[in-house]
Parts: sequence; structure tokens; C-alpha cells
Amino acid sequence: MALLEIRDLKAKIGDVEILHGINLTIDRGEVHAIMGPNGSGKSTLSYVLSGRDGYEVTGGDILLDGESVLEMEADERARAGMFLAFQYPVELPGVGGMAFLRAAVNARLREQGKDEVDQLAFVKMVRSRAKELGVSDEMLKRAVNVGFSGGEKKRYEILQMALLEPSLAVLDETDSGLDVDALRIVSEGVNALRGEKRGMLVITHYQRLLSHIVPDHVHILADGKIIKSGDKSLALEVEENGYAGLINAA
Amino acid sequence: MQPNLLRETIPACLDARAAFADTGLPSAKAEAWIYTRLSDITINPADEAGSPQADLPSGLVFQNGFLVSGAESLPTGLRFREFDKDGQDMAAFMSYLPEDHLLSVLSLGYVTGAYVIEIADNVKIDEVLSLHFVGGDHNSSSHPLVMVRLGNQSAVKIAEYHQSQSALSAPVIAIDIGEEAVFDHIKCQNDQDKAHHLALTVMKCAAKSDVNSFTTAIGSALGRHETHIHLDGEEANVALSSIYMARGNQHHDMTTRMLHHVPLCTSSQLIRGVLDDTARGVFQGKVLVAEGAQKTDGQQMSRALLLSRKAEADAKPELEIYADDVVCSHGATVGELDENHLFYLRSRGIDSDEARMMLIEAFLLDTLETIRDEALANELHKAVESWMRG
Repeated sequence: MALLEIRDLKAKIGDVEILHGINLTIDRGEVHAIMGPNGSGKSTLSYVLSGRDGYEVTGGDILLDGESVLEMEADERARAGMFLAFQYPVELPGVGGMAFLRAAVNARLREQGKDEVDQLAFVKMVRSRAKELGVSDEMLKRAVNVGFSGGEKKRYEILQMALLEPSLAVLDETDSGLDVDALRIVSEGVNALRGEKRGMLVITHYQRLLSHIVPDHVHILADGKIIKSGDKSLALEVEENGYAGLINAA
Repeated sequence: MQPNLLRETIPACLDARAAFADTGLPSAKAEAWIYTRLSDITINPADEAGSPQADLPSGLVFQNGFLVSGAESLPTGLRFREFDKDGQDMAAFMSYLPEDHLLSVLSLGYVTGAYVIEIADNVKIDEVLSLHFVGGDHNSSSHPLVMVRLGNQSAVKIAEYHQSQSALSAPVIAIDIGEEAVFDHIKCQNDQDKAHHLALTVMKCAAKSDVNSFTTAIGSALGRHETHIHLDGEEANVALSSIYMARGNQHHDMTTRMLHHVPLCTSSQLIRGVLDDTARGVFQGKVLVAEGAQKTDGQQMSRALLLSRKAEADAKPELEIYADDVVCSHGATVGELDENHLFYLRSRGIDSDEARMMLIEAFLLDTLETIRDEALANELHKAVESWMRG
């Protein structure tokens, strides 16, 4: 059974239809990339997948492990194994980082019928994961994302992904705002989480992220539809010729 | 009528009652009561404490507005007694009260028990003194008066817990803080849910005194908590914070008057309100800087969080400044929980209720952090959490 199956998905914000029928299947162990120009519906797709309010699905279905998630709230989808790494992670003044991470991990554990993690063991686990991703103890002590640089916010997203061990990770423009070094650290973090148990959907405008996180499949999204699919060489084609040629050909 | 009751024997109390009978409740046009209307309140003061309820907490317990227990086991260095019968304590108490003031008149005229707490010069008490206001029923009112005197260079921590069952609770507390004295104070108002709570707290702060006070309003159907602070001595410092939390049809009114009479004092006020359903919150805060009170630093910030579209928050901050070399500011905001914040938390698997709770706690955090005593801070956290789980 496919990990994620998107069937003829149509969605609108307000009265405007943004996604006009998307089909996409991701199996465990696969990394898919969705590339597209601005306004093609990339971020809308990530929000519709994760269940954000304000996006109305008007047709089609989203199946996670064979079950439709359309009726599930954002938090239920997350507990079912879906994770969204935000393009613009939100600052939460006053929400302590450790308490936040623990609440998230415990919510997932409860869902799986497991015991909640005890505080000391949790702190130890977070610290060791954080170290690998270059997230300092000082960042862990701060309120969620408050005072973090763009690169730090992205690393913190990947730290959350590492702790939550999702079955499906959706990375929305994870490369935006990253310098070369930060891009390398973040990509290494993501690559370390690739594996047989997990599928990933990497959403990006540029090819450069995909030379670090090398996808198995690449899809071009334009005007709310996937107009072309291929392997990683498709990303290079975009890099060389731009989106215009592909869109005109479609 | 019991002839030994202060309200029946002391002329000032009889006068106050006559004055109240004359003027009655404030009209809809009364400036100080624009946001909080009092239409019907039960005035039926209790005559005695009655037999003590089961499981009395430790500390001083006032039942129906009269002392019922705790006087025998007070911290060393603290003196406690009733007001004298010939009116000297009452006269002293009245000197702290604002003139032509509804809450003062109401409580003087119908006073139940009246007590003095004294801490002598140089006495520093580390243990928290708890004052519990309990008892009563839906037909009665309680009007306790407490006068607290902190000697020079003394220190004390007082925690007030209001869990009255009375229809009306109208406590008036006057606190005289001596030179270089340190006063830590919390008040947790959690009266029964049909009650009116009309309270006045007055503080007079002498030179270099240091006050850290925090009020939470959670209970009662309608609560008005007035705090009047007189900065009477140079270099006095006051931090005054409050949190009000309301749901259903509750109405909380926090009214403060920060009166800088002399130079070189600092005051800061943080007020946070959380309002759900059709609840209403009011903050009226005046900072007055008298002529000549130079180098005053007076800050005030109130923020309200509306959890429902039908909740309402009103804020009336006022600065009245007659000196030219001061740093004063005030601000007031009203907002809702941020949908982006909620979505971020929920996208991590945290359910809606827990996510809201985390964001409400975050909203209150900087205010809760103003309380410096750890034991008192823990009590406040408990009060806030109990509301959220409620």
C-alpha cells in the first residue's frame, strides 16, 4: 500500500480554486520533489495536506496509509504520522521550547498507545539530536523560534522532525532563506532521516536544494496541476531552461 | 441587632451607612462606574462568624467576614488583634480611605469584623501569612476590614485567598508600608460563581519601601477590585500586576490608581485578561504624578485576550502628570489567539485544547514572571491552571 496517495485533489481558498486536480503517489522509502514557479500552488498543497483551516477541498482525496485524512484535523494528521516543515516557522513568544517539544512528542506517543517520555530522558534525547543538527542548548532554552535566525529556524524544524519520526515529511521551501552552510546542515539532517519507513515530499522553487537532498522522483507543478514528472534529471532541466519552456510545452 | 458590633457603635460607621442610604449605588453616569454597573447587590451583613466550617486551612481564616481561626498560630514577630471598640483604630483606618468613595462607604457602614496586623520595625518574617475569606451564603454579605502596618525595615509576605459563599464580599484592606520595608502580596479571588466581589486595597508606601503585589480574579459573577497606591516617600518602588480570567457571563473590573506624590519613585503595572464566552473585562488604570514628583518612572500595560467573538474587553488607561521630568507610559491592547500560532502547534500533533492552553499560558507568562517570591508564584500558577482546566 502506498504511504501517501493524492487522488485528483482540488482545493480552494475562499472562492478561488488553487489546486485543479493533483495526482501523486509516494511509497515508503521514496523522496519526491515538487518544483514549481511562484503561485503554482506549492504552499497550498502543503497546507491542504497538513489540514490547515481556511483551505477547502472541493474534490478528490488524500490517503495516508490507505485512509482518507480529509475529515481529520491538523493535529490528528500529525499524530497519524504526517509532518510539515514550515517555509516560515512561527515564533511563539512565551512558549518554552522544551515544553513544546515534549508536548508534541507525548501527543504522538499517546496516539501510539505508548507511555509518555519522562522529563530527564527526554532532555537527554533532545540534546543529543539537537547537537547533530547544530541546535545549541541556548536555543533549546528559548521560547519556540523566538530570536532564531532563518537558518536556526529551519534546523529547529528538522529537529522536530527527527524527534517526531513521522512516516510522511512534507518540507515546504526548506531552502528559502538559507546560506550555503545552513543549507548543508539542514540537508544532512534531512538525509539522515531518509529510510525505508519514511516518505518525503520536498517542495521547492529552486534546484539547488535537490543537489543536497537528491529526490527519487521530480514533479513540476504549474497552475495547480502536475504537468510533468520524471527523475532527478528533470530538476536540472528546470535549472537550465526555466519553468517557462516546460509550461509552454505542457 | 448586636450592640457589640462596630457598625452599630462607632459613629463613623453609622454615618457611612446613612451616607450610603442617601446616595445609593452609582448611577449609570458616574464616571468611575461607566463600565461596571451595579444594579442589585445584596447588603445583609453577617452578625458573627458562626461555627467553623470543616477542614479549615492554616493561616487566618475569616468566615462571614469575622475571624474564626488562626490567631493562635501566627508567625513570630507578627501581632494580630481586633479593632478597638472606641473607634481609634477605625479613625486610623479611615485615614487611608479615599473620600466619597462607594467601596469605602459600603464597607465602613456595614463592617463585619475589623482587624489589625502589625509587624514591628526591623522584623522580617519569611513565612507566608495566609488570609482566607470563606463562609457565608446567598442571603448574606461580608465586609471585613484589615489594617496591616509594616514597620520601618520590616518584611512580610501576605497571601489573600477569597473563596466566599456570600452574595456580596466587600473586603477593604489598608496596608501601611514603612520606610525600607519589603512587602510581597498576592490575592486570589475565587468567590462562588453567583457572588459580587467589591474590594478595595489601599497601600501607602514610605521612602525606599518595596512592594511586589499580584491579584488574580477568577471567581464571582461580578468582581471589582480597586487598588489605590500612594507613593508617599522618595525612592519607593511598586510592582503591581493582575490577571483576570472570565467565562460564561462573568464580569471582572480591575481598577487601579497609582499616585506618585513625591519624586524618585517607580511603579510598574502589568495587567492581563483572558475572556471567553460572553464574559467582560474592564481595566481602568490611572497614574497620577503630582506637581514636584520629578524623576517618576510610571509604567502601565494592559492586554486582553478574547477567546470568543462575544467576549468584551474595555480599557481606560489614564495618565495625569503635573511634573515635567518623568518617564511614564501606558498601553492597552485587545486581541485574539493567533491562528498561525495555533496551527503551528496543532501541526505538531498537539490537540486544539492543549494548544490553546499553551498559548494562554504564554500570554500570561511575562506577567506571572513579575512575582518574585517563589512560594507565592506557585500559588498563582495553580490558580491560573485551575481556571484553564475548569
